[in-house]
Formats: sequence, structure tokens, C-alpha cells
Amino acid sequence: MTSNNPAVFLLMVNGQIEAADFPEYDGLYCKYCFVYGHDWAPTSGLEEGISQITSKGRGSQRLVWNFPLDITFKSTNPFGWPQIVVSVYGPDTFGNDVVRGYGAIHIPFTPGKHTKTIPMFVPESTSRLQKFTSWLMGRRPEFTDPKVVAQGEGREVTRVRSQGFVTLQFNIVTKDMKKLGYETTSEHSASTGLTRASQQP
Amino acid sequence: MRTHQSLKSNETLRRLFLFACSETQALAARWQHKPCQTKNIHKQSTRKTPMAELHIIGQIIGATGFPQNSLFCKWGVHTGGAWRLLSGLKEGQTQVDMPQTGDMAYWSHPIDLHYTTKGLQGWPKLHLQVWHQDSFGRCQLYGYGYIHVPSSAGQHRLQCVTWRPLGTWQDQLAEMFVGGGPQLRSPDLIYSGADRYRLHTVGMGTVELELCVILRHFDRYGVES
Repeated sequence: MTSNNPAVFLLMVNGQIEAADFPEYDGLYCKYCFVYGHDWAPTSGLEEGISQITSKGRGSQRLVWNFPLDITFKSTNPFGWPQIVVSVYGPDTFGNDVVRGYGAIHIPFTPGKHTKTIPMFVPESTSRLQKFTSWLMGRRPEFTDPKVVAQGEGREVTRVRSQGFVTLQFNIVTKDMKKLGYETTSEHSASTGLTRASQQP
Repeated sequence: MRTHQSLKSNETLRRLFLFACSETQALAARWQHKPCQTKNIHKQSTRKTPMAELHIIGQIIGATGFPQNSLFCKWGVHTGGAWRLLSGLKEGQTQVDMPQTGDMAYWSHPIDLHYTTKGLQGWPKLHLQVWHQDSFGRCQLYGYGYIHVPSSAGQHRLQCVTWRPLGTWQDQLAEMFVGGGPQLRSPDLIYSGADRYRLHTVGMGTVELELCVILRHFDRYGVES
């Protein structure tokens, strides 16, 4: 149904969590969830998911998940633009399931195909003794709620260690953003090809 | 006849009464100025052009090129007087990151700001201070930097260069052994060029950011960007 004065705009996200790059770890699985502001609401699709456990192949060092993402949001305001939070888990030396990294990134803003590589980091233990006991017991420091990674407040006291990357692919379609007056691409940069750079396959 | 006369007089009375009512209403309106004018203003505000809005959404990705890796960043956004922040935090501090592999420290710190403006002067500037935290928990300044928020809509990958004030040779010698070093007294100097002519600085690493700028209603004011 097309209307001349739409009140909401839609953001449709298709994509996948393609693969991860962790030089030191193997046998990992990932969880994802979307974090968004008060003006946003998902209209269809899954907001959370857990992938399969994958191992490194013989030839390459990549951990491939090929895990689908499919969600549509509606909103009245770009503030609180959705972010995807990815958490990666894997077994440690003793077989316990420990966190290997958290990462977050905003869903791309412009229609088209985008490939994003996000760094993954883990919280660090405060002292060396704590580091040793957490390694022994299998209880590493983790965030109680992974959504903290998508927020800017309260992070000044956290110490983290970044140790890997996850590659995501997105295909974005927006509806009615122009009708509501929002410009996400500029005519000048479109002519010089700058905004199209991220859409090259 | 009597009833007709009384009807006529009633009619005149009614008309007089109505006239008196309307006059007192007009007088009251003139004294208070509120009822009539607020109605008019309400009508005008729905006809006025809405204000221009700017959304800055993105991340401070990380930093690279600094002598040590265990870094965090204090950031803030400064605007002119015509800009008003509607939602979002305009300053903050990132986490401290110690990268296991590679040189770049990753923060992935989200920025989400919603501004409304009456003029183009004082376009938002993002200023940063990069600090190093060592294993003992001491913090040392590693660099100041600022960058203008891009003025065209779209997604931008930005690199912000940083610099550090350099003291006298005695200060530099002490810095080698003890750490520390001179810092700016007020952070305004990071993004203003007013009093810099006596400052002696040295260049440090770069901070990478990815910002998306969304403009709204700027074309109604004739602004081309």
C-alpha cells in the first residue's frame, strides 16, 4: 500500500555472518542479536540466533558459518539505528565453553551490498592471579548482557583484548526514507563514485 | 399584539445580549492576548517549514600507529550556538583495548547523535584524546586530535591524525624515564586554532572512524551538500 504521507520508514536487512578469523582458536560458534532504539521495532524476521559449531578446514585458517540474517525494521527516527551484536564462543583447553569475542556494528545505512569486518574482543581479568584461576576453572570474564557492547555508556571501566575478526555481508533495502525527508546519500559523492565503493562485489 | 411586542422586545434583548457577549469576548481577548494568539501560533507552526536535522551515526573503530598498544579514547562533539542536541550522548570514553595480534587497538565505540539546527555555522566537530593505560593502571596522554563531521550525507571512513605537546628537552628526558608529559590546560585548544602559535607538538598515530551522516530537510532551506 503506497501512501503519500508515510509516517514510518522501513529498513530491510538480508545477509549472513560469513566467517571468522581467529588465529588461536578452533571449534567456534556464534550468537547474534539486534540492539535498537526506542523508536524502532522489528516487523518480521528473527532478532536472535545461534549458529552451528565450525572448525578450520585443512587449507585455510577461516572458520566458515554462512549463517543467514533476515530482519525488517520500521521506525520514525534514525536515532537508535539498529546494531548487530555478535558473540563468539568456543571450547578451552579443558573443554568448557568460554567466550572468545564480542563485537558490534551498525547495520549499513545506504541501500546496496556491504561487506563488513568487525573486530572481536574479550574482557580482560583484572590481575594475573585472576587470569590464572579463570583459565584453570574455565570461568572467563564475560559480559552479563552482550548488548552492553552496542552501547557507549559504562565502557570506560572495561579493559578488553581484541583477538579476532568476523566478516558479515549485508544487503540493505530502505523504503520511504526519502519521502520522510531523510537523505542518506549525497548527489555529489554519488557522481564521484565514493558511496558506491562499499557496494562493489 | 402584546405578545408580538413582547416577542419583538425579546428579540431585541436577545440581540443586545449576544452583541454584549461578543464584545466582552473581544475585550477579554485583547487584554489577555493569549487565546487568540495561541490559536494563531498553533496554526502557523503546522504551516512553518520544519527545522533541519542532522543524524551522526557510526563508530570509533580504533587507533593505530601509537608507541604502545593499550589505548583508550575520550571523545566529545562540539557545535556552534545554532545547534541543539535532541538525543544521544555527545561525549564519552571508550574501553581500554590491548590487542593480541597486530598493531591496531579496536574500540568499536558507537556514536549516535541527533541534532537540529537553525544555521550552518558551527558544524559539529568531533575531538578526541587518546590515552595509554599501562599494566599498573597509570594513564598517559598519547595524543589530541579533531575532525569535522562530514557535511555530505552518506557513509564515510575517516582517519583522524593526532598530535602531542612537546615540552623542553628536560621534560622530554624526564618523560623517557618517568612517563607523563605536558597536557593542554583546557581541551578547547584541540578544535580551535586561536592560541596555537606558541605550542610545539609532535605527531602521533591515527584514529579510524566510520560515520554515517543523515540529513533531513536541508534541501528545503536551499542548502546543497
